[in-house]
Amino acid sequence: MNFLYFDPGLGAMIVQAIVAVAAGVLLFSKNVLYKVKSFFGLVKKDDSYDSIDVDEEDTEETNDKNQ
Amino acid sequence: MTKTSKTHEASFRDPSGYIYHDGNILRRKINPIYFPQYKKLKDSGFFKTLIKNNLLISHEETSVSEDQIIITPEHIPFITNPYEWGFEQYKQAALLTLKIQKFALSKGFILKDASAYNVTFHKGKPIFIDTLSFDFYEEGSPWRAYKQFITHFLGPLVLARYHGNEVFNMLQAYIDGIPVKMISSMLPPKTKLSSVLYPNIHLLAKMESRHSEDYKAETKIAKLSLKAQNNIIESLYNFISKLSLKEVSEWGDYYSKTNYNETAFNTKKDLIRNWVSSLNAKKLIDIGGNDGTFARTVQDLVPHIMVTDIDSNAVDANFLQILKNKEDNILPFVCDVLQPAPGIGFNNTERESLIHRLTEYKPDVTMALALIHHITLSGNVPFKKSAAFFAKFSKNLIIEFPKREDSWVTSLLVRKREFINYFDFYNQSEFEKGYSHFFTLLKKEELTETKRVMYLFENKNYDS
Repeated sequence: MNFLYFDPGLGAMIVQAIVAVAAGVLLFSKNVLYKVKSFFGLVKKDDSYDSIDVDEEDTEETNDKNQ
Repeated sequence: MTKTSKTHEASFRDPSGYIYHDGNILRRKINPIYFPQYKKLKDSGFFKTLIKNNLLISHEETSVSEDQIIITPEHIPFITNPYEWGFEQYKQAALLTLKIQKFALSKGFILKDASAYNVTFHKGKPIFIDTLSFDFYEEGSPWRAYKQFITHFLGPLVLARYHGNEVFNMLQAYIDGIPVKMISSMLPPKTKLSSVLYPNIHLLAKMESRHSEDYKAETKIAKLSLKAQNNIIESLYNFISKLSLKEVSEWGDYYSKTNYNETAFNTKKDLIRNWVSSLNAKKLIDIGGNDGTFARTVQDLVPHIMVTDIDSNAVDANFLQILKNKEDNILPFVCDVLQPAPGIGFNNTERESLIHRLTEYKPDVTMALALIHHITLSGNVPFKKSAAFFAKFSKNLIIEFPKREDSWVTSLLVRKREFINYFDFYNQSEFEKGYSHFFTLLKKEELTETKRVMYLFENKNYDS
């Protein structure tokens, strides 16, 4: 690993453990809520923003073609 | 011909490599210290996937030797900086950064920095431009760029939510992001109840001041699992994608409030189209161009168009239209003509001033429609001075002059109250005189049924 050319902030390194717990609880509860909502058919689809996941499928296809 | 090779003014912080100008071409030199990362990123198809998905700027490998690798990235005609983005643009840039970090983690890499300057807008979308920002993920290590993400992205966005888009101007003063303590102090107390904002901003600010005196780096840093790090990123992503401005000022009404009818509106559009096509323009900038309505009349004629406005809501409206219609040749950004973005950072050249970037961009046509009365009457800028401003970067200038009888001009003049006589110079002959110092008049046409005149000028001293 390269040495860092900026100060990551010690507090910021430590706080991530707490941030992660909070995020974990939040994501878990959202997930539960989503499941409950979809059970009752209350989920509205919102596609104004992309999903966080990068689409790898068509890349792999092109890779195959190139090989 | 001698080629000039000059290091790019913003490229000195990262020892992995730097960007330099090879004549007119921008190239990136990679130092041996970064070879292992670069080779892995390349061979594993990591770069390829990101480029394929239009998330990272594409590049070609120009040369490889033992002591340096040179890559040439795709040319980006104009770089906009974070303080020139509308809220939606800023948001998309933040989401892009998180998306790339999440993908990097899944492939055993991390983003080693999360600077907002790593993103710019190109072909209608945000794109990551720092190809060397990746490093190997180290098992259990927290995200070193986490704080940078907060000061560059989450902080400014949340502040903008509560204080308006103008908050982004603060980034001109803080090139490495708004200090966490300041973000925390500027947020309303109720944000302490937010399960995202409390830990990511308020608690972070507390921890940072508590640990600011650890000079010997003795404090132990807890390990953070990959899953935990993914949770942070995902929760930030969810939070930011739902973020909106608290007071969305009513926008979109502008053209229904115009003081001229549809016939005049269409005459103006036809005239612009005619003039622009006669100039065979490759690059055009519409200053004060609102949501890009008039720029779009020449969209099929001009390969690269920029539209600026002082109103960030108009810039956002333009940007959303670009995303919706998948337009790839319009670049909107926020610009206050009376106070264009200055050169900032080390040497005042790390992020170049707007004027500097425009001089390099060299637009073939500059449009300034319904703008001169604002510059002259709201900004009190004499005609000769505004002419000098346009002459700095414009080859041709299409400028609209609303006469004194125009209702908007009248309203601006009336507001001068007892000083109204000071503005007697606001008339066509003084305007033409002021502009004649720098420009040659090519065409002039009255817009029928309006109190406005359209001018086409050519720069007298343009160095092309």
